[in-house]
Amino acid sequence: MTLADHRTPAPRPGWLAGQSTGVRLARHTLTLVALAVVLVPFADLAVLTRDPWAELARMAKGLAWPAWGAMESPLEALGLTVAVALWGTLGGIVLGFPLALLFARSRLIRAGCAFVRAIHELFWALLFLQVFGLSAATALMALAIPYAGIFAKVFAEILEQIPGAPRDALPPGVSRLSRFVYAELPLAWTRLAAYTRYRFECALRASVLLGFVGLPTLGFQLETAFREGRYHEAGALLWLFYLLIASLPWWGHRRLMPLLVLGGAFLLGPWPAVDGGLLWRFVSQDIWPPALLEGDWRGLIDWLARIPDLAPAIGNTLLLGLLGSVGALLVALALWPLACRHFGNPVTRLVGRGLLLFLRSTPELMLAFFFLLLLGPSLLPAWLALALHNGALIAFLVARHADAITPGMPGVNAPGRLAYELLPRLYPGMLALLYYRAEVILRETAILGMLGVATLGYYIDANFEYLLFDVAFFLLLVTAALNIAVDALSRRLRPRETAIIDDPCQR
Amino acid sequence: MRWLAASTVVLTLFAQSVAADTFRFTAIPDEDQSRLVERFSKVADYLEERLDVEVEYVPVKSYGATVTAFRNDQVQLAWFGGLSGVQARRLVPGSVAVAQGSEDAAFKSYFIAHRSTGLEQAEALPAAIEGMSLTFGSRTSTSGRLMPEHFLRQRFGQAPDTLFSRVGFSGDHSRTIALVEAGTWDLGAVNFSVWEAAVEDGRVDTDKVEVIWATPPYPDYNWTLRGDVDERFGEGFSDQVRTALLEMDDPELLASFPREGFIPADNALYVPIEGIAEELGLLR
Repeated sequence: MTLADHRTPAPRPGWLAGQSTGVRLARHTLTLVALAVVLVPFADLAVLTRDPWAELARMAKGLAWPAWGAMESPLEALGLTVAVALWGTLGGIVLGFPLALLFARSRLIRAGCAFVRAIHELFWALLFLQVFGLSAATALMALAIPYAGIFAKVFAEILEQIPGAPRDALPPGVSRLSRFVYAELPLAWTRLAAYTRYRFECALRASVLLGFVGLPTLGFQLETAFREGRYHEAGALLWLFYLLIASLPWWGHRRLMPLLVLGGAFLLGPWPAVDGGLLWRFVSQDIWPPALLEGDWRGLIDWLARIPDLAPAIGNTLLLGLLGSVGALLVALALWPLACRHFGNPVTRLVGRGLLLFLRSTPELMLAFFFLLLLGPSLLPAWLALALHNGALIAFLVARHADAITPGMPGVNAPGRLAYELLPRLYPGMLALLYYRAEVILRETAILGMLGVATLGYYIDANFEYLLFDVAFFLLLVTAALNIAVDALSRRLRPRETAIIDDPCQR
Repeated sequence: MRWLAASTVVLTLFAQSVAADTFRFTAIPDEDQSRLVERFSKVADYLEERLDVEVEYVPVKSYGATVTAFRNDQVQLAWFGGLSGVQARRLVPGSVAVAQGSEDAAFKSYFIAHRSTGLEQAEALPAAIEGMSLTFGSRTSTSGRLMPEHFLRQRFGQAPDTLFSRVGFSGDHSRTIALVEAGTWDLGAVNFSVWEAAVEDGRVDTDKVEVIWATPPYPDYNWTLRGDVDERFGEGFSDQVRTALLEMDDPELLASFPREGFIPADNALYVPIEGIAEELGLLR
């Protein structure tokens, strides 16, 4: 018997076979990368460099020698940027928190949240702009509505992960509200607060972006100055924004928050009188095909026929989303050690943190324009911009996560610490972050239409410009459906056990 | 003082539709946008003096937003491009084009090319541009997209998408110039007055990019006024506005547009623009 056992040993697990977490994550990653490599030939990645150097030198000079005096009322813009971000986040919490409590129970609420999340803040702003004009109402709703969907989902997941013992110890018949206030909220509080702080930083970036469609935040002047090549002025505004983000831990202290909230309310100023007529015209007429309103079915078919061919647009959107996500993963893997306390010296860490701040706070559109000049018009500039921006964001969160870890293996050199101790502990979280970020990346493909890459967002943007709101709205619905499908898929693919390792406060 | 003025602007911006009897105007973001609020506030002061009502300038970011503000009565007067003016007048029945710049009766666009294309200035667009790449400006710009596309279709009988290897929308005339100068695109279509201002200021290297063709003239920018202003601001108000615009002669004010002066205009002038926009599917 023993002889037979010796003769047929149990088959050795092959390379990358097995069910341990590490191996499964490696398989996931390699599948993603392989998929990206297989699909790269379908992407339009032509490189064309002729004379970008003069323009690039002007941009570099602008950033190096910012013209502080050229800014038009920077303090108001700065104040408004913060006020919109703060009140937008607050609005998101107020709307999203009740939804979080019902999230697990109602499919309708989950679908509704996925829908509002799926539309980019800029497109929400463009929609509300038609009704509320350039007003604080437009800005706040453009942030609060998608954020409500995000808060509902993330808060629900945080609440799901708290220990169940205190809840189970309550006597039967305790109402949902009491259970929540006494047995759930205290346990979840730190993580809820940490996530809210992170979302606030995202809101600051979004608040700047709202300036791109005309709300007078920092982005208003930034976009104009950059577009018209006044790089010294754009440089000053960018520096102002970097400083705002870098100093967030100090001015964003929770004791200062009540003061900021009140001050912000004053900055938001008087509200536009909501014109019911405009609102009604927009919801009942503008966003629907005229033929549909008249019940003219033939006309509706003609209307559909005039919509540009969506298959390539959807293909480009998905391809850019996938390439952007894989790129972001590689960028994050390369960059996070630069900002982590376990590596390098104070100087390299300062440089690393600065680099991550620079990459994650520079609006993607500007990164994309830089690469457009350098590499010519194709999918490539959009890909690089998405990968760098999101990769730096993930790297920043992973480095913060790593800083909280105390290494337990003394006497290991830095590469060893990275490879054998930190990365294995951080990687599940990093991958989970990437899966969450994929949703954001897909949304962001929409705003890179200026590169001439015909994504869905390119056509949405075009139809807003042509004032064909019905077509724009239809395309927004298509985009939302696509995002919801991708989200469902990424949730299914996401390694299960990482949900426990991953800290939702970092999404 | 400037700080005070600026903060008033920011605050009042949010109060747009609160006070009913302030007369508001805007301008499409087309020419040099630096110190925009400051410069246009002077135009507002001039109009205030002439019209005897409170006048306010509302800064707007895109062509589409300008039309929307006009449609929603958040502004009553606007400095539009040819196409955005047509869009606005279609959406607000009764509104009229009251004036245009003295240059606008015969406006034109330039096609510019990077020197590596080897193209030279010519009487007609050379057939060699087929298969090259081209960037327009903003999608609804008359001089940066509509008319150049119209003349391209007239000359080659096909849509830009099929004529060129790649077509882009830079979003802005200055950006079109910068991108063609860098060789990112082979060709660009640009507003002639923005090009000439850039050459004059030395902001463009004419060794790298030059004009290869100028379009025939067409009518462009115009001041458009809502039809209901007489009811709201008193009988004869629209005539007062027209007169104030036509009599604007301070070079400092005119430089914001930038025009030598303003001349009368009417809706009929822009009928050809409307027809072309319909043909290209930009209007429905």
